[in-house]
Amino acid sequence: MKQLYFILFTVLLAHQAFSQDKYLTKEGYVSFFSHSLVEDIIANNNQVLSIIDTKTGEIAIQLLMKSFSFKKALMQEHFNENYVESHKYPKAKFIGEIINFTDLNEQINETEIRGTLSVHGEEKEITTIAIVDIQAEEIIITGEFTVEVADFKIKIPSIVINNIAKTIKISFELHHKPYIK
Amino acid sequence: MNNTKFKILFGIFVIVIISLFSMLNCYNKPHRDIRSSKPDLALNSEYLLNEFLQDEVAANKRYTDNIIQIEGTIFKVSTSDGNSVITIKNNNSESSIICQLLPEDNINALKLKKGEKVIIKGICNGFLLDVIMVRCIIVNNK
Repeated sequence: MKQLYFILFTVLLAHQAFSQDKYLTKEGYVSFFSHSLVEDIIANNNQVLSIIDTKTGEIAIQLLMKSFSFKKALMQEHFNENYVESHKYPKAKFIGEIINFTDLNEQINETEIRGTLSVHGEEKEITTIAIVDIQAEEIIITGEFTVEVADFKIKIPSIVINNIAKTIKISFELHHKPYIK
Repeated sequence: MNNTKFKILFGIFVIVIISLFSMLNCYNKPHRDIRSSKPDLALNSEYLLNEFLQDEVAANKRYTDNIIQIEGTIFKVSTSDGNSVITIKNNNSESSIICQLLPEDNINALKLKKGEKVIIKGICNGFLLDVIMVRCIIVNNK
């Protein structure tokens, strides 16, 4: 019995050592903004999952398209059903790397993030400058970049073509905490 | 002659007004009212989680976009961007159900504590590492 406890204890310890390299958030914030002469459209998502591997600087972000909330219910409906087809492509993903992450200090850094964004079943390389704020118990990543609607094969009906911008601004703010099981 | 012309014009005018009004109504259509809606399904949290863990695609078809009432044990009460968030989790599972509440229930959420049983109603949005529910309200806690 003692042996069993010992094994359990070491496994637990080993696991904890492993998981200390991971910082995670399940309540990250991502929003997008479309500006046109007719109207401005903003949608917020507060349920973004993001994981950083502090050993390598790799970052993986996932979100549900349905979690974007709009002011108008009709817009949200059109967005999910007609434009991004959430039933077919429920998730958007970003897998990339924070450049020179291991060289960053415990302070506010400006660095590049490079990776692949996949939305609506289409992939696109993204390079953007982000602010990486490293604190004792938290890694905060904030920034913004723009994407072209056409790059993701999202079809906008001609009747609303003037209401929706061709270039969409995406902002993000992710507060990662050490991952402890 | 003049009279019939007027009638036709007036008819067109009325039609235009009505269609404009209905368009505006449609445009301003409110979000679904969770509190007054009957849940499409009532489940316990463990069951819902297992459904997503076993077959995410099938579970998405079955549960996503539906108003679901779930019963489970509170693991965490937190806030995110002005909304209360209740995490429901069983001890034997890695994953949880994250319920983002409507702001109107923020005060009620503050009264809840870890380990308490709760019944929550909201829209299921899908699964990342956890089942995600939005626009939730607290039905009751016991």
